[in-house]
Order: sequence, then structure tokens, then C-alpha cells
Amino acid sequence: MERKNDENSTAIVEVIDNGPLKITGQIVLKDLKKDITDTVTEVYLCRCGRSCNKPYCDDSHRN
Amino acid sequence: MERGKNSFSGGRRYRKDDITVYWKPEACVHASYCYRELIEVFDPGRRPWVDLNGASTERIIEVVNMCPTEALSWKWNDEGKNKEVSADQTNHVLFRRPELLKETEPPWQENPVSVKIMKDGPIVIKGDFTFNYSGNKKEMKQGIISLCRCGASNQMPFCDGMHRKIGFEDE
Repeated sequence: MERKNDENSTAIVEVIDNGPLKITGQIVLKDLKKDITDTVTEVYLCRCGRSCNKPYCDDSHRN
Repeated sequence: MERGKNSFSGGRRYRKDDITVYWKPEACVHASYCYRELIEVFDPGRRPWVDLNGASTERIIEVVNMCPTEALSWKWNDEGKNKEVSADQTNHVLFRRPELLKETEPPWQENPVSVKIMKDGPIVIKGDFTFNYSGNKKEMKQGIISLCRCGASNQMPFCDGMHRKIGFEDE
């Protein structure tokens, strides 16, 4: 993967087919129910509703 | 060469306020000390599998030092402290992967993307980002999208309000 200078680096939101939402870059993640705010650089979020570790993916979509 | 904020040549980095932990997957021999000792931090079933918020710095260092290979190593973010580590800190990068002593993180970008997990609802993402879905690629500038989190939307990957109909709830 080619990478230019930092002015051009940006977050990437990727919907993985039949899988989670992958977000990379500089992210402020807020979970309104759990009242958590976190700064992260990579996260996989559940899209199927079955994860036991919401909002994160735990691979339950495969079952 | 930088390939992304969490990636570096040969693996990944995980950072908290005072330390950075490096993971080099091809060096792992699955001795499994990390997750048997500290599943809160090292959970192979989770993505990302390392969460440095799961335990104290002292405990994380203790467990990283148990790794029998160079798969897991660590360093202080305070460069000065890296010069005075004792030999019992077996997995400090000084002893395991000295090339990483010079490795620094790219500067934090001015406008981080906001990702909100709505209560029993969708994921709402705001800001500047590249959005890839179903073969499409869109450059979003101060954009906003709302993505399904309940699995029942008829407009995948977008939210269409179905979470209310099916009574979707976070645990």
C-alpha cells in the first residue's frame, strides 16, 4: 500500500462483506450507552447484532 | 516505513499514555502466556486483539516480559526512560528488537473522525474519511453516515430504522 505524506493520510471506513465495519485512522469513538469515549487508531465494529462484546466484533457473524 | 498508524514494518503497535507494545505475528510460537495471564489485554478472539486499557502498565509489562519470543515487546513512550531499563525487563525493545527504539508514531491529525455508537441504534460517523462499501469508494468531506448495527436493515450497510422494529438492544 502506498502512503503519501501525513497531510494526505485520512481515516478509512470499510464495510467488510459479511463481516464487521473496519475503521482505521484517527478516531474518537463514543459509546453513548456505556458512556465511553476513546481515541483509537483501529477498530472493528459489529454489524450483525450478534456480538457478545458490542460494539466490537467478536466474530459471532461466522456462526 | 510507515504504513498506517497501527502498522509498522513487521507487525503492529499498540499505544497507551506511557508505553507502546509491539506485536510481530510471524515470531509468535503460541506459547500462550499472554492470554493465559492477561486475557483482559491479550484476547485472541477480539479485534483488535490487544487492548492496553485492560490492565495497569506494570502488569502489562510483566506479562509482555513472559513472551518467550520477540513476538511481543514494549518500550516507554518517554525516550529517556528507555535508556535506563534493567536486564530483567527481558522483552523491552532494547533486548528484543532494538531497531524499534527509533520508531516513532506519526503526528496526530487535527481532525479525528467521530464515531458514535448510538444507544440501541446505528453507528454514526462524521468527518473526513474514505468510505468503502460493496465495491464503492467515496471520499467524504465533513460527511455523515449512519450504518446498521442490528443486522436487520433492508438498506445495508446503512441504517433504515429497523433496529426499533426488532427491538435491538446493546447488552
